[in-house]
Amino acid sequence: MKVAVHPFLLALFGALPVAAGVHEVWWNLSYAYNVSPDGLVPRRAIGVNGTWPPPPISVSANDTLIVHATNYLDNPSSLHHHGMYANKTAWYDGAVSITQCGIPYGQTATYVVDIPGSGQWGTYWVHAHSYGQYTDGLRAPFIIHPLQELQTYDDEYVVVLGDWYHQEHDPLLKHFMSIANPGGAEPVPDAPLMYFAHGDAYLPPIASATPNVSPSTNSVGFNENATLPFESGKTYRLRIVNTGAFAAMFFWIDGHEMRVIEVDGTDVEPYVVEQLNIAVAQRYSVLVTARNDTSSNWAIHGNMDTVMFDTVPASLNPNATSTITYSSSNSLKNLSPVPLEFYQPTDETVFVPSVVQPQLPPADQVVDLEVTFDTMNDGTNHAMFNMKTYNFPKVPTVFTQVEYANQNITELAFGELAFTLDHLSVVDIVVKNGDVGKHPFHIHGHKFQIINRGVDYTSNDTTLNPPLKEGQANPIRRDTIQLLPLHSATLRFVADNPGSWLFHCHIDWHFSSGLAAVFVEATPLLADASVPQFFKDQCATLDLPSQGNAAGNQDPNNLKGLPEGPFPQILGWRPKGIGAMFGCVLTATLGMATVTWYAVSGRKLTDEQLEEEVRRQRATKKSWKSVVASKLKSA
Amino acid sequence: MPNVFSVPIFFIVFRETLEAVIIISVLLGIVEQIANPQSGGESLSAATTAVEPEKEKQNIESGQPEAPPSLPSGDDTSSDEVQRKKLLRKLRIQIFIGSAVGLLTALAIGAAFIAIWFTEASNLWKKSEELWEGIFSLIAAILIFVIGITMLKMDKAKAKWRVKLQEAFEGKAVDGRTKAGKWALLVLPLITVLREGVEAVVFVGGVSLAQPATSIPLAAIVGIICGIIIGYFIYAFASRTTLTVFIIVMTNLILLIGAGLFSKAIGLFQGYLFSKLLGVDVDDAGGTGPGSYDVRGNVWHLDCCSPAGQGWMVFAAIFGWTNNGTLGTILGYVFYWIAVVVTLLFLKRRENKNRAQA
Repeated sequence: MKVAVHPFLLALFGALPVAAGVHEVWWNLSYAYNVSPDGLVPRRAIGVNGTWPPPPISVSANDTLIVHATNYLDNPSSLHHHGMYANKTAWYDGAVSITQCGIPYGQTATYVVDIPGSGQWGTYWVHAHSYGQYTDGLRAPFIIHPLQELQTYDDEYVVVLGDWYHQEHDPLLKHFMSIANPGGAEPVPDAPLMYFAHGDAYLPPIASATPNVSPSTNSVGFNENATLPFESGKTYRLRIVNTGAFAAMFFWIDGHEMRVIEVDGTDVEPYVVEQLNIAVAQRYSVLVTARNDTSSNWAIHGNMDTVMFDTVPASLNPNATSTITYSSSNSLKNLSPVPLEFYQPTDETVFVPSVVQPQLPPADQVVDLEVTFDTMNDGTNHAMFNMKTYNFPKVPTVFTQVEYANQNITELAFGELAFTLDHLSVVDIVVKNGDVGKHPFHIHGHKFQIINRGVDYTSNDTTLNPPLKEGQANPIRRDTIQLLPLHSATLRFVADNPGSWLFHCHIDWHFSSGLAAVFVEATPLLADASVPQFFKDQCATLDLPSQGNAAGNQDPNNLKGLPEGPFPQILGWRPKGIGAMFGCVLTATLGMATVTWYAVSGRKLTDEQLEEEVRRQRATKKSWKSVVASKLKSA
Repeated sequence: MPNVFSVPIFFIVFRETLEAVIIISVLLGIVEQIANPQSGGESLSAATTAVEPEKEKQNIESGQPEAPPSLPSGDDTSSDEVQRKKLLRKLRIQIFIGSAVGLLTALAIGAAFIAIWFTEASNLWKKSEELWEGIFSLIAAILIFVIGITMLKMDKAKAKWRVKLQEAFEGKAVDGRTKAGKWALLVLPLITVLREGVEAVVFVGGVSLAQPATSIPLAAIVGIICGIIIGYFIYAFASRTTLTVFIIVMTNLILLIGAGLFSKAIGLFQGYLFSKLLGVDVDDAGGTGPGSYDVRGNVWHLDCCSPAGQGWMVFAAIFGWTNNGTLGTILGYVFYWIAVVVTLLFLKRRENKNRAQA
């Protein structure tokens, strides 16, 4: 990553002895039972080593993190360290079908996260990237501490926000992607979540909490049973991460000011905010100074953004309220409810990165992506980029890259929504949200600079749809951006990371319904790459190919069998419609002709003949009646 | 337009009125024969001579003075002339009064039924469920099928009523209930028209289940007016050709409507099932674009031109047009017409067989 490093920091890192360590964890990805963080409905969730939530990971910036993940779940699994670059080692990115086939049952994948090599630190998280398992709970904060923080504070906590469903992911997805849901209404979460971590452990519930049903969640405090202990005079760093599958959160603390100092792992100059609108997968760090007056405890608010919900059932409480405790004997000051205007989106372009990186040079490649949703020709609702819905390739994309790195391979051979990027080219992604929903878009393998934002990309008014400005001094950088309806954003980065990198909406339901694209970057540089053998063996165990292009063909430019569809409906008069209409008109004409024939052919008789006929018919009827009557009499 | 004027109701009322007019015209014809035996010379005299022996027998049997007013066979004196004219007038008045009473009674029954239905019962069902709308459309379509086929027999109506009414006049029991008498000319048209009227009410009631309430009164009134006018012209000019042409046009139009209603009924049943699957009313949700209909079994779908729209409503009422054609609705439409053809062929064959036997 090209970074114009502040000379002071360079000196700092150069001077200190770099004690490079290895932080190794062993995770059995397994089910936890009777999990009920909201205290409402116990359910089975996906945790680590039989407990939920999975433990937080906290490492130093010169540690290499090694995660041994053994899968004991019904479906193949994977772990994605969200926001980490995985420089030149995309197979450790953990995106099933793009960088690996998935970990089969009982087998282990070893992820090597090269933190020192990436030069990253800050607030990140780790989660499953397969079969909706992160929606079922496989997610945890992942904090990287630099040797020296830019800001000074006395202590720090992690605030984990999220949404929670009472049903498991698979039945919810089945209904979401069915013909009974042509409008694409996402499953509505059943509860918000807020819980805290300190170091590598979660904070326990408050003393007055009723014991939780589940042994695995018993030791963690959630929502109203969670609290942060504050001491007056101290300044705390709160690392806030939204680990939800769908709901964006509004976060603020009554009676305390928040100063933003980090955005998605980018340190920024302190900036005061009243509240933060945190979309799924985004992270912020804020500094909060404890009050001098310790006579009250104060409420911390994590409210779900219900605007995106199809319905808001009366039984749903979308607001998680935890507390800051100065003294357990204090009463609680809760200043809610707040007026509707209080809820505002967070415009991250106001934040100024502490490590200055000027706007990258004008783009060599521009990728336009317009977002739409619609009911497709199979009756299900899908998401689309540029009217195409994403389909997973038959062979993980990075395996294809490595295999054909020295050959001439067309872009389409990687899949319909694959975009090839040349090494070190400057790339602009221009995302336009043509949908009525808010979408958080996330890129793997990079951070992007946000160099332009528009409020209405269809407008000619330059205040609503401003043109791109080059040469900005220090635009904000992050890896997940939320776009409101009709908004657009230009995201710029350098293609310096050979590999296959997903760009997708982080709402799990939308990812499943196809709101994704893949950047196939610097393929020729992967010629000498070696994918760890166990990844390929695991493909074989799952009966999946690890060689070939996205269509599963050995000839890289043979596109027969490329996964595609479903397609947008084509309405109007198509051949079978025209044929059917013709058939209807034909039968109606035949019918009317028969009617005419019948009426006309009856005219041949004169009035007298007709009367004779009528008399005869009545006589016949009478004789029948008398026969029946006499039979009945005799019976 | 279909919200203020129901075309099928118009046709049904028109046809029933036409039949009633024919009845009255036949009665007037009979009465004229009675009053002026020399004039006309139609089959009435032949019929009366044919049945006279039986009439005498009946008179002897019953001993009742039930013969119609005697036929003066003598010379035409001026007093006879005046008497005849008086008699004619009296008979005509009786006919008209009887018919009018019958008609008004039938109208009253019909109006009461429709009013009660539309204010009370239909509110419970029709507005909320496509299922009920489908059932009503189906009933209406079947009734229209029956009416359409029987409409084709209207050119025999005059002959049929001639025979029936003559037999009633000659003292023969008609259907075992009505007997000729002093008040024959009052009671007979009253009962006949009332019966026809009630039959019309049943048909109109059945078909109106599938029509909006506001469309019925105007259509019924216009139907009555047109029936009277056209009936009068047919009676006055005694043209069977005109009647045949009318019958063909009316029957074709009403069968078109019937086929459309049958197709609409199937569409409504399918729409009901789809709404149930989604758990919401599809109409409320999606408009006419993708997602507003079931893709399974769909043959065409236009993102416009829905029968709920302005001009398309008329097209839908007459031809059963819909912007969403499914396998079910298309086959339904086709089978309805095939049923018409088969029925007519069958009827014609039966008639020919009967004729051959005679």
